[in-house]
Amino acid sequence: MIRVIDLSKSFGALRAVNHLSFEAMPNCITSIIGPNGAGKSTAFNLIAGTLRPDSGRVELEGHDVTGEPAYRLAKLGVARSFQITNLFFGLSVLENVRFACQSLESRNRFLTRLDRLSAPVRRATEILEEFGLDESADQLVGNLSHGDQRRVEIAICMALTPRVLMLDEPTQGMSPAETAEIDTLIKSLAGRVTVLLIEHDIDLVMNISDHVIVMHQGRKLFEGPPNEVRASPAVREAYLGAEHAAA
Amino acid sequence: MLQAQQQAQTTDIESRPAGTVAGRLLRAVRSGGSNSTLLRQIALVSLLLAAIFPLFGGSFFTRLAIEALLFGCIALSVDILLGYAGLLSLGQAAYFGLAAYVAALMYLHVTQSFWLVLLTASASVGVFSFLLGAVAIRAKGVYFALITFGVAEILSKITHNTRAIGGSDGLIGIPVPSIRLLPGLEIEFANNYVFYYLVLGTVCLLYLGTRRILNTAFGSVLRAIRDNSDRVPYLGYNPFWYKLLAYVMAAQIAAFGGLIYPLLRGFVAPHLFGFEVSTKAVVMSLVGGVGTLIGPLMGSVIITFLESVVGSYTERHLILLGIIFIVFVMFLPDGLCGLAQRTFGAGRKVKP
Repeated sequence: MIRVIDLSKSFGALRAVNHLSFEAMPNCITSIIGPNGAGKSTAFNLIAGTLRPDSGRVELEGHDVTGEPAYRLAKLGVARSFQITNLFFGLSVLENVRFACQSLESRNRFLTRLDRLSAPVRRATEILEEFGLDESADQLVGNLSHGDQRRVEIAICMALTPRVLMLDEPTQGMSPAETAEIDTLIKSLAGRVTVLLIEHDIDLVMNISDHVIVMHQGRKLFEGPPNEVRASPAVREAYLGAEHAAA
Repeated sequence: MLQAQQQAQTTDIESRPAGTVAGRLLRAVRSGGSNSTLLRQIALVSLLLAAIFPLFGGSFFTRLAIEALLFGCIALSVDILLGYAGLLSLGQAAYFGLAAYVAALMYLHVTQSFWLVLLTASASVGVFSFLLGAVAIRAKGVYFALITFGVAEILSKITHNTRAIGGSDGLIGIPVPSIRLLPGLEIEFANNYVFYYLVLGTVCLLYLGTRRILNTAFGSVLRAIRDNSDRVPYLGYNPFWYKLLAYVMAAQIAAFGGLIYPLLRGFVAPHLFGFEVSTKAVVMSLVGGVGTLIGPLMGSVIITFLESVVGSYTERHLILLGIIFIVFVMFLPDGLCGLAQRTFGAGRKVKP
């Protein structure tokens, strides 16, 4: 579905991403893990069009999309969430989701009056129900709890009916109970969409991923299904620290 | 300032009776401030007051009211950018001045046809705002303000130093033409009352047109840009074109005011491009209420009349403008419309 080939990006002398290659299979959950500073977020930014790579390619279903701007990637079916909640805090929950739905409308309807543009409202209502946010539809996103805001983050991504859903630490700052809910939610999405996930919560990753990529110092250290990752001594040493490796 | 504005808007929505779910949802969609019932009522009352004003105003104040409406166009244009796209322009006077100079030069040297002058001024402002906008919009926050400020100052200096277009004296003796509205229906600008109602009518149309345009899918993209422009591209919109369109549209509205100005005062001068005019427009929209569209027009009337009254006592009326600015920023950031929404919106929950 989405394939990364020999991707590199430097910031000054720092090689944040160093010849990274991997492929995310359709309708599977592919996770990228690694210690802080491993280059996970940079890799995400390169794929989602936030940053331009120095070299390498990104392919979406065989088409080269390297360096495409974010708004075009979104149109092509790549939706991303953000590690630090990045929403329209001054707008209502419904309006956040409706606004995302609206981008699917034909461009020549952009001067249509909002109350005559009913399809996005209907779709947004459905999405809010699915995500259990219909109770707070009229609330300002800024007034929601952190957990609900993280939910809206995923909801507006799904509103774009993406083919690839990129989630940047969706459980960031969440309680264990909330994490478990997101766990179920992501699993339920996986049948419909290709998920690419960055996550710090190792249990969550091991639980839901079909494929795991371990990054370390900008490079891909290991790649494989969760049980192999768990068993790999190299991963233990780099990621979990020396004491785990010894144990 | 904007946050308070948004809060005022949302409290307004929430306080309404819930009704059906669909109705509630649609109301939430129409969260654009310019569309709330109270703002419509304010607009209607303002229009009524404006319509009967010349009966009491006399010719001096009627002409002053025309001036207020013309400067109100700049304030409206500031509001489109600040209240909807989140762009603070400190150089909207550039388009007022540009249109005023183009109009003056056309009347003096080329034609007496109002429609031809309208077309020329509007086209020059259109081209200029498209080019400047395409550059300025790439800059964020304060840099956008600085670029717009800088370019307006450059235009002011160029006119100031160019002898051929009057230099520091500006252009004087601009003939007052008549407009052929329809074949056989000529309207004289020389008659203050006719002039007043003509300008009032046009400003109403500009206000309604702007409100209509901002109450569309396009307007909702602008509101999203104002709220969090970094997120917008990830939802499939290229913010650049939306901002540019808003910028060109705002410039056209400021240009209308500028185009009429020489007909009112009979002269144009470099100060029309100046910082004082641009900032005054910002203060006007702040006083009326940013993001309400009607507020800036009210603000313009208030500031223009206040300045005229105070100006007859002291040269230093700018001090007053500064004080008003500070007071509103500190105590009433959502302006008079915001105050009205909080006062008359009975039973409104105020969010923490």
